[in-house]
Amino acid sequence: MTTSPALVEVEEAVPSSAPPTSGRRILTAVTRDKGALACLVFLAIVVLMAVAAPLITNLSGWGPYQFDSAAINSDLGGVPHGSLGGISGSHWFGVEPQNGRDLFARIVYGARVSITISLSATLLTGILGVVLGMLAGFYRGWVDQVISRLMDFLMAFPALIFMIAILSSLPSGNRPVLLVVVISAFGWPYLARVIRGQTMTLANREFVEAARASGAKDSQVVFREILPNLRGSIVVMTTLAIPGYIGTEAGLSFLGVGVSPPTASWGQMISSSVSWYSVDPMFFAIPGLFLFLTVLSLTVLGDKIRTLIDQGEAA
Amino acid sequence: MLVGLVASAALALTACGGGASGAKGESAGPGAKAAQGGTLQVLANAAFSHLDPARGFDGGVNNFYRLIYRTLTTQGAAPGADGTKIVPDLATDTGKPSDGGKTWTFTLKDGLFFETGAPITSADVKWGVSRAWDPEIGIGSPYAKQLIEAPASYQGPYKSGDLATIATPDAKTIVFHLKKPYADFGSVVAQNTFTPVPKGQGAGNALDSKPIASGPYKVSEYKPGASLKVVRNDKWDKKTDDVRSANPDAFQWTFGLDPATIDERMIAGQGTDADAIAGTIQAASVARIQTPQLKERTMSGLGGCTTYMGLNTTKKPLDNVKVRQAINLAVNKQTVRDAVGGSTLAEIATSIQPPTIAGRVDYDPYPSPDHKGDVDGARKLLTEAGFANGFTMTLDTRAQPKMQAMAVAIQQALEPLKITVKINTIDTATYYEVIGTTSQQHDAAITGWCPDWPSGATFLPPLFDGRNITPKGNSNLAQLNDPGVNAKIDEIAKLTDVQAANKAYGELDKQIMALAPVVPLLYEKVLMLVGSNIGGAYLHDGFSGGIDLVSVGLKDAGK
Repeated sequence: MTTSPALVEVEEAVPSSAPPTSGRRILTAVTRDKGALACLVFLAIVVLMAVAAPLITNLSGWGPYQFDSAAINSDLGGVPHGSLGGISGSHWFGVEPQNGRDLFARIVYGARVSITISLSATLLTGILGVVLGMLAGFYRGWVDQVISRLMDFLMAFPALIFMIAILSSLPSGNRPVLLVVVISAFGWPYLARVIRGQTMTLANREFVEAARASGAKDSQVVFREILPNLRGSIVVMTTLAIPGYIGTEAGLSFLGVGVSPPTASWGQMISSSVSWYSVDPMFFAIPGLFLFLTVLSLTVLGDKIRTLIDQGEAA
Repeated sequence: MLVGLVASAALALTACGGGASGAKGESAGPGAKAAQGGTLQVLANAAFSHLDPARGFDGGVNNFYRLIYRTLTTQGAAPGADGTKIVPDLATDTGKPSDGGKTWTFTLKDGLFFETGAPITSADVKWGVSRAWDPEIGIGSPYAKQLIEAPASYQGPYKSGDLATIATPDAKTIVFHLKKPYADFGSVVAQNTFTPVPKGQGAGNALDSKPIASGPYKVSEYKPGASLKVVRNDKWDKKTDDVRSANPDAFQWTFGLDPATIDERMIAGQGTDADAIAGTIQAASVARIQTPQLKERTMSGLGGCTTYMGLNTTKKPLDNVKVRQAINLAVNKQTVRDAVGGSTLAEIATSIQPPTIAGRVDYDPYPSPDHKGDVDGARKLLTEAGFANGFTMTLDTRAQPKMQAMAVAIQQALEPLKITVKINTIDTATYYEVIGTTSQQHDAAITGWCPDWPSGATFLPPLFDGRNITPKGNSNLAQLNDPGVNAKIDEIAKLTDVQAANKAYGELDKQIMALAPVVPLLYEKVLMLVGSNIGGAYLHDGFSGGIDLVSVGLKDAGK
């Protein structure tokens, strides 16, 4: 790293957003806010569930694919024995009708699917969005034209319909990877647009011109001058995108084009619970509650972070 | 025939509880006497495949066709065994064989008319039958084509003209010349293809949109995929028909309803839904119909089909009989049954032929406690076969929640044997085409079969005759080509005594199951809720357990 002295001076002169929006400051602010803290704790639990799924189900005693015929009433169409959808000491969240699979285990493993897919999709859209957005904003001209038209095209597209069409026509290979690719393909323009706009503004700022004047190469300008200043937007956009992707994954699984059975997925559980809502409402309520709380927590947290970054930038 | 695709009638002879729970209360419930008149509503999800009798061929349309069409003979109209007995319909008897069973003569009754007022003659019956050879029209029941002698180039009356092997010496007599003697031809002429069609009419799609009725009702309004209304055909004379009560003045079908919506409407039973009947309820609704009031409106019985998993005997390691036997032993049929809705919606299958088939032997070649699977016994067989460390196989299944649930149950049952089952989900529309193409089918597939005939003759030979394996449209999913089985099939086909043949098929069932080419999974049941004003209803064993439409009616027609 060879930073020219001129560059350092410039950076200091510009009201940089880096120090006030540091990770530590945000973390302190979040832990002081009760609502945001609760969201953080819930998300930590979900992530822990996803990471330690096999250990947790060892503890609870039932795997996600294990049938328990004793827990359901075969004579009544396979409805779980006992009230509240078969909640008992051995099945903490009750069982799935018709096969007696443990709902707790399936929630835990379902968290894996939701978290993995949404985080991978966020990462992929993040990379695509930032790279293409910066390219368009920085180089302008025909590069911008091509990327912008592609973004317009993708954003104008009826994405959900197209996702269903693609996913149902593709052979059932590696479903999670397919889901990530398809979700990302339609997700990146939303981030790229913002990044492009901000890059354009930043590229005209004095410190960038100063860097150029002092002989910095394009790559140096992009990575040292522009990218650090985009950090705030990227953090906010991606945090707010994760709940969206969790919802999309659940929605696609609900529509029958998500991960294929027997893999546990919250969306799929909600889908199969639809016909049971009047007989076994817990089958719907439990995955529904987890999906709702996860999306809510991420949204609240993302909102909080945005406020903090905005405040930091204003300060 | 395949379940769902061309599920067809089980001409079964044993009383298997068809309509048992419905018919018990004579004064109340769906078994009560039906009055004449009124409009009976039918709520349905799927529309009829075809209205043309030469095209449609499944339990649903076969039942419906009896309202608008008549055939030379037909099945009885009664619950249990009487319902599958063949009785005369257009003909005065069930046929007179001559020439050692190679020639069959039928005489038509007097006073038979089409809805147009034209008399039904033997020439019209012949015209209707010969339509079965038309490559575009004759896609329904295949038996006329298979049994009646015809030139190889014959392509139906519209393309090839007259068929000389069906003679009509006068307007009342029709004579069929068969390829070889067939003892049970009296049952064959009950098939839909033996419906009269006025000579010269019914080309192309004409009958699919506007059928020409010979039965007690005629189509008055048909919106394909949405609704169908039939009203009384005043040219039909009750005196000529001993089978059809024809109680309501009209039937009104509503198609395209969501199954959950149908269940809700039938449970509520409000307004005209009190006069309604519908198909089998969903598993999720079973727990809701346990109140005495709803139980009184419930009818249940066997559907007459077998749901099974075919094991492709040409693929390794399923070519090893011990591996197939091990799979048969290990499958937990209890969980498979729960996957389709538990004991009220299915019975566990042990033999290939369902209990509604005559001559069927009740036996369990691969027993396990409570049908929960004998993993230890299976492991022993696998070890003997040299697959103690398991293997991977692909199971084809339809993209349908029920079928997928069954596949998952099988996958779970085979897991302890270290057999990894990959579930290959195929779109419902192309499923039978894919698994019926030998180059495309995988190691195993879940499917079903319903008999078309009073015996195992339409069950075992189509599924297990090794000489019937075709590259496309193959029904021998196991691709079993066993000389012993083939020889036995030929031997039984030569028997002239139908009862002896049925008994022999029961023994053949055992012989085939020793080779374990399939895993019989379930005999699925029908469980229906009917409106409170429905009377005269019973489940007909011949129509996949559907409510016999020619006998059902309204208790109070004025309501």
